[in-house]
Amino acid sequence: MQDRIEADATARHGMPLSVTLASALLVVSGFAGTGTAIGAEAPAGGRIGYVLTDRHWAIFETEDGAAECPKGFNLGPREQYSAQFPENDGVERTVVETRLLREGRQWHPTLVEKDDFEFYAAQGNTSVGLNLDGVVDDNDFVSPDGELTGIDNQMYRVIGCIAHYRTGGIIHHFENKFAQQYNDNRWIIEITDVDDLANDDEVTVNVYRGMDDLLTDASGEAFIAGATQRVDTRWGQTYMAKTTGKIVDGVLMTQPIDTIRVPWSSTFDTSGFQVFRGLQMELNLTTDSAEGLIAGYTDVEAFNHQLNTTWSTHHQSYGQLSSLSQYHAMRKFADGYPDEETGENTAISSAISVKMTRVAVLHPEEEFENAVSQADGRD
Amino acid sequence: MSCFRALILCATAPVLATVAPAAADDDLSTLLYWQAPERAVWEDSFEEPMPPGFQVVSTEHDGPVFANADGLTFYKWPQRDLRNGGTGDRQDGVSNCTDTVERTSAGLMSPYPAGLVLPELDSRPSCTEAWPPVLAAEDAEPVGEWDILEREDGTRQWTHDGFPLYTSVLDSEKGDVNGGFKLEARGDSPVLREPVGPRPAIPPGFLVQQTTTGRLLIDNNGASLYAWQGDETNKSNCFGKCAEIWSPVLAPATAFAQGEWSVIERSPGTNQWAYRGQPLYRYSPDPRTRSLRGSDIEGWSNVYTQRPLPPPSGFTVQDSRIGQVLADANGKTIYTYNCSDDAMDQLSCDHPGSPQVYRMTLCGAGDPELCLETFPYVTVSPGEESVSHLWEVMHIDPMTGRLAEPDQENALAVWAYRGRPVYTFGGDETPGEANGDHYGEFNGRRNGYKAFWLRDDFRDNMFSR
Repeated sequence: MQDRIEADATARHGMPLSVTLASALLVVSGFAGTGTAIGAEAPAGGRIGYVLTDRHWAIFETEDGAAECPKGFNLGPREQYSAQFPENDGVERTVVETRLLREGRQWHPTLVEKDDFEFYAAQGNTSVGLNLDGVVDDNDFVSPDGELTGIDNQMYRVIGCIAHYRTGGIIHHFENKFAQQYNDNRWIIEITDVDDLANDDEVTVNVYRGMDDLLTDASGEAFIAGATQRVDTRWGQTYMAKTTGKIVDGVLMTQPIDTIRVPWSSTFDTSGFQVFRGLQMELNLTTDSAEGLIAGYTDVEAFNHQLNTTWSTHHQSYGQLSSLSQYHAMRKFADGYPDEETGENTAISSAISVKMTRVAVLHPEEEFENAVSQADGRD
Repeated sequence: MSCFRALILCATAPVLATVAPAAADDDLSTLLYWQAPERAVWEDSFEEPMPPGFQVVSTEHDGPVFANADGLTFYKWPQRDLRNGGTGDRQDGVSNCTDTVERTSAGLMSPYPAGLVLPELDSRPSCTEAWPPVLAAEDAEPVGEWDILEREDGTRQWTHDGFPLYTSVLDSEKGDVNGGFKLEARGDSPVLREPVGPRPAIPPGFLVQQTTTGRLLIDNNGASLYAWQGDETNKSNCFGKCAEIWSPVLAPATAFAQGEWSVIERSPGTNQWAYRGQPLYRYSPDPRTRSLRGSDIEGWSNVYTQRPLPPPSGFTVQDSRIGQVLADANGKTIYTYNCSDDAMDQLSCDHPGSPQVYRMTLCGAGDPELCLETFPYVTVSPGEESVSHLWEVMHIDPMTGRLAEPDQENALAVWAYRGRPVYTFGGDETPGEANGDHYGEFNGRRNGYKAFWLRDDFRDNMFSR
């Protein structure tokens, strides 16, 4: 039963085990085999919750990017600076002409008509993601196994050849680590109205920000199902969302959420977020885990703002990421939600590989007020 | 309020103002994080021997600080490592603040190299012009923690706890602490100057944590301490289930009353600490150290040794995504601007007397008009006023960012905090949004903007600069 469910889910995501895809491996390995195969039964109270434990921008990778990045990876701030202002050329330069010139452009990219550097977009028509618009056109991708067509993931064109986002890249590693480490990133879904966790024509999916640490085993590395997560109804209201969906052979497929903010902060006390339009989930459910993709159209301006306020130029340099170059590429490849006045697309199709672990979702009336009532019950 | 006796605290009557919830006629949005001027209390400190003419001054944000005879605050410049090296003064070392006018960047930050010519060299001060050393008279002698070092030019400079002392040209009167503050340096903040003061008058086992809204009393494990409105002066009424959630802060058998601290007997053989007459507790469900969560329970409050006076009238408190922020009358989040240049002396560039090119780069790529859209000044509305020493009305030329005469044609009357204008962010559309937070180089700490966090339930923004 479990094998069949995973195979089905994998087919929809287009990520067979045989493909050397880091992001695909994240989805199909790890928790594979974890939890109990879903039978035709309802969870207690018709509801079940999961908390995010892993997330990575879904991209298709071949070794050293040979297939998708034939020109190599994009230049980052250090490389661009060196090209713009060669060292030892005898020119005395000022802070204003160099650092502040570049920072000003970085924070106000719309003032720059064209980036000075060639951008290396990911090549080919193979990638990972979901068919967001329900059509198949020339810009879409085909899954690595060739079974799924019409995949919308133009974000892959943009970030596929930026080292930061690839396996082993700093953002690839640390965005995930910080998502685990900082509780303001805690992202939980609660599926309600569930009559049958294997197959259910209509369920409700609620999205919340949680408040609590993730529960790990003694190694501190593996996440354990069954912990509690309190819903942050006080500060986390802007992160709440609701949609409907269905469960088919253990795979949850949701209707798009028109607009959703997802907490997406880093270290340095930042508390940023991403904004997605038309966000869908396709998650392979077990009694202990949920794995798969969340996919939608990433708001370009919000993405760039989150990047710059979260990752300084120094930190962007670690992974050869020029936010100015990336921003212009995002606008070029943006493929959704056109601006009403200009007609320019404001969002770009994208996908994120996720792993989630089952939690008991505690609503304020169930947990937070408990402390109050106990305090009020003093004798 | 301050008084000093060697290792003995000042005895003062219990004062409830800093912990009691706001009275019904108080403006909650004002007194939630501040104290009313008419019942203000200030932190007490241990007395220590000082050189003649020096004094301790109670300050609104940073508590008691050392100052010269004119009341000008003393600062130290502790050495700190940056991305590509460190600068500042080492304890028991020499002063690295010299009369050299730095001409080029030091490359201490990344990814930009050293050797870039700094802005506005014609008017750039030396370190000692910005931070005059506290000089000792020829016949001055060390006393207690106070010592004297010889500077390169042969002059003698006072040190405290091994750190050379300076005043700031940004301070002009007693109680000013515009040169720096005691909030923690986090992330990639510059090597900043810190005000120097005496030790808080608290018993062993307790600490005072500087926050943006006061000096929070915690235990030495970082746990917040709370007081309950249901208690009586030096008498706890919290027992049974109450005491299971609110864990009394027990005092050892050897503890004794000192100054504002008293020891009360909960039951035979079990003693509890009380501060200003209020029995102290920890909140068992607190999810983290230095928490404010217990204050959400009616009747319970965190305990502070002191809090600032209220911000300008009309300002508001808004819920935001990780806590609460200070906001203007329209609910728009208030931002402060931070800047120090990448030179060995780390001079600040965050006030109107410093080069404005750094800020205008961030807010408008050099365009002052765009800056007024991205991070507009918080202009003073008719009738707005502030009783706080930390807030003042400043007249600014918006095209240059410099101080202006009030009658100058385009001058804006704006609110300034600690001698620096504050801003809102054009990208905040609804009250409580703080989308301009961490906007700028190194998350807004090196050259950029930070939201004015009053409370942060997830991170440490209310403890850091």
